[in-house]
Amino acid sequence: MSDSTTPEPDAPSPPGPPGPPGPVSLRVATGPLAGPVLNRVASMILARAQCPLDRFDDALILCDAISAHAPAHVRDSHVAYTLTAEERAIELRVAELRAGGAAGLLDDALLPDVGNVIERYSDSRRVEPAPDGDGEELILTIGFA
Amino acid sequence: MTPDMELALPARAENIALIRHAFGALGEALAVDEELLSDVRLAVTEACSNVVVHAYAGETPGPLEVLATVDDGALTVVVRDRGPGIAPHPDSPGLGLGLPLIASLAESVQLGRDEQERTEVCMTFLLSDGQANGASSSAPAGPVAPADGQDDQIDPTPRT
Repeated sequence: MSDSTTPEPDAPSPPGPPGPPGPVSLRVATGPLAGPVLNRVASMILARAQCPLDRFDDALILCDAISAHAPAHVRDSHVAYTLTAEERAIELRVAELRAGGAAGLLDDALLPDVGNVIERYSDSRRVEPAPDGDGEELILTIGFA
Repeated sequence: MTPDMELALPARAENIALIRHAFGALGEALAVDEELLSDVRLAVTEACSNVVVHAYAGETPGPLEVLATVDDGALTVVVRDRGPGIAPHPDSPGLGLGLPLIASLAESVQLGRDEQERTEVCMTFLLSDGQANGASSSAPAGPVAPADGQDDQIDPTPRT
C-alpha cells in the first residue's frame, strides 16, 4: 500500500457497470449503527446485482426487520453479516447468533395482520451451526427474476 | 476495544463506494458533523484507494478491511490489507499526496503492520464539539507517525 491520489492512467477499466462486489462481511455493534449500516451496504450490493426495484424494497424491509430484532439474539454486543450476490439472488448470512437465536429472530419478526416479515420477504431460510461451534447462523436468500 | 463497525471485502475499486456509503450511514447514525464526515470519507477513500492500487498489484485482489471505533469523543478508522506493506513507488502514476492528504484531514495517523503482519493505516478523528464545528478540517496536519517498530515500512513523503 502506498500513497497516490490519482488512479493509474493505464489501469484497465471495466467494460460495463461494476458487477457484484464479492462477499462482503459486515460486523456492527448493536445500537444506532446496526440498522443504517446494514441497509446502506445491502443497498449497494442489491443495486450492483441489478435487483429490480420491487425486490429491492422487499430486501430493505427484510434488513430492517433483522437489524431490529437480531440484537436480542446475538452472542455478544455485535451482529455479523455476510452478503453475497449470486445469480439473480442475494444471500444474507446473519451470524454470531446464540443457540436458538435464529428461531428467536424469526419468531420476533411476526407482525399482527402482516405475518412473518422475514418469511414473507425471503425465498429461503436455513439455520447452520456457527463454524466455531458457538451458536448458529441464519442464512436467507432473496431472489429476483 | 472491539470496533463498532467492521467491513471486509475484496480490494476492488468499485467496492470503495460501498465503504463510503457505510461511513455515510455511520455518520448519520451518530450525528457526525457534515464537514467532519466529509473529511472522514475522503481520508478513508484515499486509504482504501491505496490498497486497491498498490497492495495487490498484479495479483488477484485480496481482502480490504475497514474498522471503525467510536470511543471517548474520537472516531478511529483502521484500513487494513494483506499486501507487502507500504513502500516507496517511484514509478507510481499518482501525485504522491495520498498520505499527506490523510494526515491533513485526520487528527493523527499511524502506519504500520499489526501482529498478523497486515498493513494498517490508522486514522483518528475528533468528535468533540470543536471538531463538530469544523475545527478538524481546518486544523493543522496531524503527525504521520509510524506504529511501534515499523518505521522502516513507511515513507509518507510526497512523490512527484
